[in-house]
Amino acid sequence: MRIPILKLHDYLLISVQVDLDDQTALQFQEDVLNKIHQEGSRGVVIDLTSVDMIDSFIAKVLGDVVDMSNLMGARVVLTGIQPAVAITLIDMGIVLEEVPTALDLEQGLDRLQQELEG
Amino acid sequence: MQVQTHVDIHSEWGIVAARQAGRKLAREIGFGSVDQARVTTAISELARNIYLYANKGQIHIEEATSSGKRGIKIIATDEGPGIKDVRRVMEDGYTTSGGLGAGLPGVKRLMDEFKIDSEPDEGTTITTVKWLR
Amino acid sequence: MNQQIRELIHVHKSTITDEWMKEVEKFREDDYLQSISDTVYQNTNREFVDMLFNTVGQEGEDVKETISNYTDRLIQLGWPLNYIIRGMQEFRKVAVESLIRNDDQTRDIEFYQEVEDWVDEVVNILVGHYSGSWENTVFLQKMALKELSAPLIPVFDNISVMPLIGTIDTERAKQIMENLLTGVIEHRSQVVLIDITGVPVVDTMVAHHIIQASEAVRLVGAKCILVGIRPEIAQTIVNLGIDLGKFPTKSSLKKGIESALEMTSHQIVEIEE
Repeated sequence: MRIPILKLHDYLLISVQVDLDDQTALQFQEDVLNKIHQEGSRGVVIDLTSVDMIDSFIAKVLGDVVDMSNLMGARVVLTGIQPAVAITLIDMGIVLEEVPTALDLEQGLDRLQQELEG
Repeated sequence: MQVQTHVDIHSEWGIVAARQAGRKLAREIGFGSVDQARVTTAISELARNIYLYANKGQIHIEEATSSGKRGIKIIATDEGPGIKDVRRVMEDGYTTSGGLGAGLPGVKRLMDEFKIDSEPDEGTTITTVKWLR
Repeated sequence: MNQQIRELIHVHKSTITDEWMKEVEKFREDDYLQSISDTVYQNTNREFVDMLFNTVGQEGEDVKETISNYTDRLIQLGWPLNYIIRGMQEFRKVAVESLIRNDDQTRDIEFYQEVEDWVDEVVNILVGHYSGSWENTVFLQKMALKELSAPLIPVFDNISVMPLIGTIDTERAKQIMENLLTGVIEHRSQVVLIDITGVPVVDTMVAHHIIQASEAVRLVGAKCILVGIRPEIAQTIVNLGIDLGKFPTKSSLKKGIESALEMTSHQIVEIEE
């Protein structure tokens, strides 16, 4: 299973709509990085509105995607993390520090704009 | 009526199957969305540990009752290498798999009761319960 | 209880009652009992003692019902349990004293035990009933507390305030966190001001809960400002070595709103007349 990655000007837009298993998550990581390389993207928005669970593995993969993308010169914003998911992550002691977040796709794009300009 | 379900873990798909079964049961028992996420995440962690360290094992999920309380009980069993230093694996940030090291201590914080039985070379059983608030 | 004792108790009923009334008067020190009139006080005492004598002739469930019904009334009226229990202790003394007056020791001991058992049973039912009513009260208060816990109030576009009032325990902290996050999504808040003006004590536990809440808020995509930090709270936070350095704090809600407006690129301007 593959998660579709959309290109919008300098940005990549990804909406995760499936229950992430480990393989899909790792495949996703690779696809995002390849796409950034291919398109020379400056920013990525990953929307997690439909994701109802993030465990430590998926959190690690997401955190890694952010770090790796940064290395490749693209800023990543995570959007739409559900309250239940946020509370679970905090309970587990996973804070995803230094990862920019926004409420939804729209605000995520604004946030990217800010990050890239500022 | 006692509800219960049983999932064999022998591939990564087992992890997904276990957490879906867990979420369904948690919802049936009456947990709110936040606790459903807690239970599902805990099951995911336990199932992944089985897959990573023992290759195969079982996740057993059932309704729990005790002195008027209701809840959900998860029992994860495997016949893998066992845990040599139980105290160590409960430390935040300790990892042998390159993960975040939040797995088992995370499960303990997500749930209300937590118990590890492990014998080196014999296997591990982790029992954990979440009560309805 | 054997027939002989029952009869004897009834014979001595008026002496026991009078003696007892005299004894309990000595410890009528509770505020509530002081506040009611002497007539009401004495009538209730008399009723109580009559009720006790009624149970002498009854068995098992009947005893329980008589006492339960009466206890409900006492609880409603607000008679303190310690007064009732002391009353029962006095009652036992008075009853034993008036029943045991002859030289037959074995019979005396039997009497003594019968009275003892009787009084113990009554006390057990009384205490059970009182504590049941307290548990009920505690439960209702808990529910009430839950209902009043922390609403998220939108004040401007994308800015919300959550005033926290009262002590924050783990249970409430969880509730607050859920309200906070669902509210943020519902109102599409970009900045949330958590106002702790009404929180009496901020210890490491409370600080921990607040830090967790603000981290969760960040994960869903908004920002937190902690406001309403009084001087003594600032002192305890620093003295306890709690690190709040990671998220912005302001002394007052007013200052917090100013910086929230700044963060969302808004400004309040005066209109020239």
